[in-house]
Amino acid sequence: MNAGTRLGVVALSLLVMAALVATGCAKKEVGPSKGQNVDTLVVAMGADARSLDPHATNDQPSARVMKLVYNRLMYQTEDLKIENDLVESYNAVSSTVFEFKLRPNVKFHNGETLSSNDVKFTFERMIANKAPAAFLVAALDKVEVIDALNFRMILKYPFGPFVTHLAHTATSIVNEKAVTAGGADYGRNPVGTGPFKFVEWKAGDSITLAAYDAYHLGAPKAKTIRFRFIPEDANRAIALETGEADIVYDVGPNDYKNLDAIPEIDAKRIAGLTTFYMGFNMAKKPFDDVRVRRAINLALDVDTATRVAFEGFAVPAKGPLAPTVQFADTSLPGYGYDPAKAKQLLAEAGYANGFKTSIWTNNNPIRVKFAEIFQEQLRQVGIECAIEIMEFAPYLDRTALGEHDMFMLGWVAVTGDADYGMYSLFHSTQFGDAGNRTFYKNPKVDELLDKGRVSVNPEDRRAAYAEAQKLVYEDAPWVFLAFREDLNATRNYVKGFVPHAAGHHNLYKVYNE
Amino acid sequence: MHKYILRRVLLLIPVMLGVSFVVFTIMFFTPGDPAKIMLGERAPAEEVALLRTQMGLDDPFHIQFFNFVKNAVQGDLGRSLVTKRPVAAEIWSRFPATLQLSAAAVLIAILMGIPIGIISATKQYSAFDMISMVIALLGVSMPNFWQGMMMILLFSITFRVLPSSGYGTLGHLIMPAATIGTSAAAVITRMTRSSMLEVVRQDYIRTARAKGLSERVVINRHALKNALIPIVTVIGLQFGSLLGGAVLTESIFSWPGVGRFMVDAIRTKDYPSVQGGVLMLALTFSIVNLAVDILYAYIDPRIKAQYK
Repeated sequence: MNAGTRLGVVALSLLVMAALVATGCAKKEVGPSKGQNVDTLVVAMGADARSLDPHATNDQPSARVMKLVYNRLMYQTEDLKIENDLVESYNAVSSTVFEFKLRPNVKFHNGETLSSNDVKFTFERMIANKAPAAFLVAALDKVEVIDALNFRMILKYPFGPFVTHLAHTATSIVNEKAVTAGGADYGRNPVGTGPFKFVEWKAGDSITLAAYDAYHLGAPKAKTIRFRFIPEDANRAIALETGEADIVYDVGPNDYKNLDAIPEIDAKRIAGLTTFYMGFNMAKKPFDDVRVRRAINLALDVDTATRVAFEGFAVPAKGPLAPTVQFADTSLPGYGYDPAKAKQLLAEAGYANGFKTSIWTNNNPIRVKFAEIFQEQLRQVGIECAIEIMEFAPYLDRTALGEHDMFMLGWVAVTGDADYGMYSLFHSTQFGDAGNRTFYKNPKVDELLDKGRVSVNPEDRRAAYAEAQKLVYEDAPWVFLAFREDLNATRNYVKGFVPHAAGHHNLYKVYNE
Repeated sequence: MHKYILRRVLLLIPVMLGVSFVVFTIMFFTPGDPAKIMLGERAPAEEVALLRTQMGLDDPFHIQFFNFVKNAVQGDLGRSLVTKRPVAAEIWSRFPATLQLSAAAVLIAILMGIPIGIISATKQYSAFDMISMVIALLGVSMPNFWQGMMMILLFSITFRVLPSSGYGTLGHLIMPAATIGTSAAAVITRMTRSSMLEVVRQDYIRTARAKGLSERVVINRHALKNALIPIVTVIGLQFGSLLGGAVLTESIFSWPGVGRFMVDAIRTKDYPSVQGGVLMLALTFSIVNLAVDILYAYIDPRIKAQYK
């Protein structure tokens, strides 16, 4: 090979590299910085969706997109009220039989008209596919089609929150023809009745939706919505600051303070549905003694710890349910901070000299911070406490097996209903993996939670949950820690954005002015 | 030469088998049950057990490993536990972004590193040499994530000339490519300089000069050609490891590449994706190395001569 050829080889290699670089760079800038692209709403969130097939996943990023692509039978408003969505009317024939009438002339994005058969197909598929959120409709026995618009849902047993569950994004109504046509890749080609139709998914980068002009409630305000996935909290905030994004979900506490100070940005904080708690293993000594559990509640300055750990973006918890959850009892007083009384209770329980124990947590910085603060406060009442930090998967496995003493966890009452917020955590049939990692067992609480679950009368349910919360509060299987706030922010030219406590926000009427 | 290439390609087989074995073993003994991850925390124990049997997770280690290799050879890396899509498709959909970023970074590194290295070597201890060596040292020492943040601060927030994150346009590519490219350039500059310094002291360079050749010809044709072997090796290594995804840089700039995919997969215990990803990584790295070795032969006729 002579010098000329060699030079040619080198030049060619460089050219190939340059060509590789140029691939994909040919497209025009679609960045929606202020005023340039008013019709496109750019929404930044922290992670990519997993699938847009409601029966394949139950994760938050996917739910956020599916909320716009699909409709549900029922709709949960931003103040967590349940209204009709695809349903025009419904009535409870008995405690286990509901009759529904669909809105007429609702069209799927593929042109098919919504009918009772789609509803039947949806729920049968959800159960047959063992969808991650199939537990929401565990009470459902079958769907009977009466005619094109009327159908009956028959339950195996009475289930109070059933209608609420029909508003969850995982119960989105799919179209049989579209699902069959999509095959194994349906999750990437979703077809719903929602205000936006699916356009494009760039894995790890973005999902684009376009306005569905034939939407049954009228065309949405924005022409295009682009969900961008920006994993770093700080970068999401920067994207909003520079105008690359119009709306940012899940703003970090630090960034929130910065964004709030910028006049062109509207930072929005709302009460969420998440409860943070430190649980006791009640199957182990000394936590089987209610005096010890109450003593620890009294020994901890939860208000200060919450303020520090959440940087001010959470309210201290007084009971098990966040105030936003339906039937939450906000009149519970909370234990307060009283180390002297804590010592006295410990002495009564026979632990005047304290004891040795441990707090387990996964490597979540907020939980670790709580644990560190509590370690010191417990020391002051004589309790020597080690902190063990572990990976999430083994952490869940080992706390489910009951190997722990005390542990830090959170629970999101995603449906906004007290049943979801309490049953798994405090019912004695739910020990371990199902959610009751404190191994709390109170027959009266079991009875009340069962009553709240099967009753269809809201007032009966409210009474049952109020009493259950009071008992749980008195039995103190947890140290009630905090209810986290959800932080979101938009540019001030974004109109109509009202955040939803469950984290999947409706963008139907949101637009750039 | 063909025999050499063929032998190197065949050598890939035991390498890949070894990598598969190590990856598979690690994932096999990592705590966490894939069946449970697939069905979710609330799944009843019987269903988890049933799925375990269906997925062959109850089979002994060697049978599971054999099946894994058998499927992998046919291009089937399994399905992601998270997205339920084929792992090969998931990786493939992210590979263009990674390839683009790596190529751009290496291009920047070569265009900066080699010329600066040559000038530094030919003008040893000059002001240019000193300054460029200090800058190169900075480039090597500066962590990518910090450099990335600073660039965002400067070009996105202060000057508003470049998008802070994302993928799709040339504008999006500049900062991540520059972040990785400059640190790679620093390595290449230092390597070029030291390699050149060694060569220019050789007798044949003195001979070339004595023949009255111009300095340009001496440097470009006689010195550089002989100094190029270690430089090409370094470039190959850089390119190979970048193809595995520049994890931190991809995260900072929200670049949808393979690196971020792998980190997410590790975080969600998505075993098939981790296994498939590492396997793909090992394969690309081996291929780039092979390409570098073949390139040696073209740069240095002596190496080529050995295989004739």
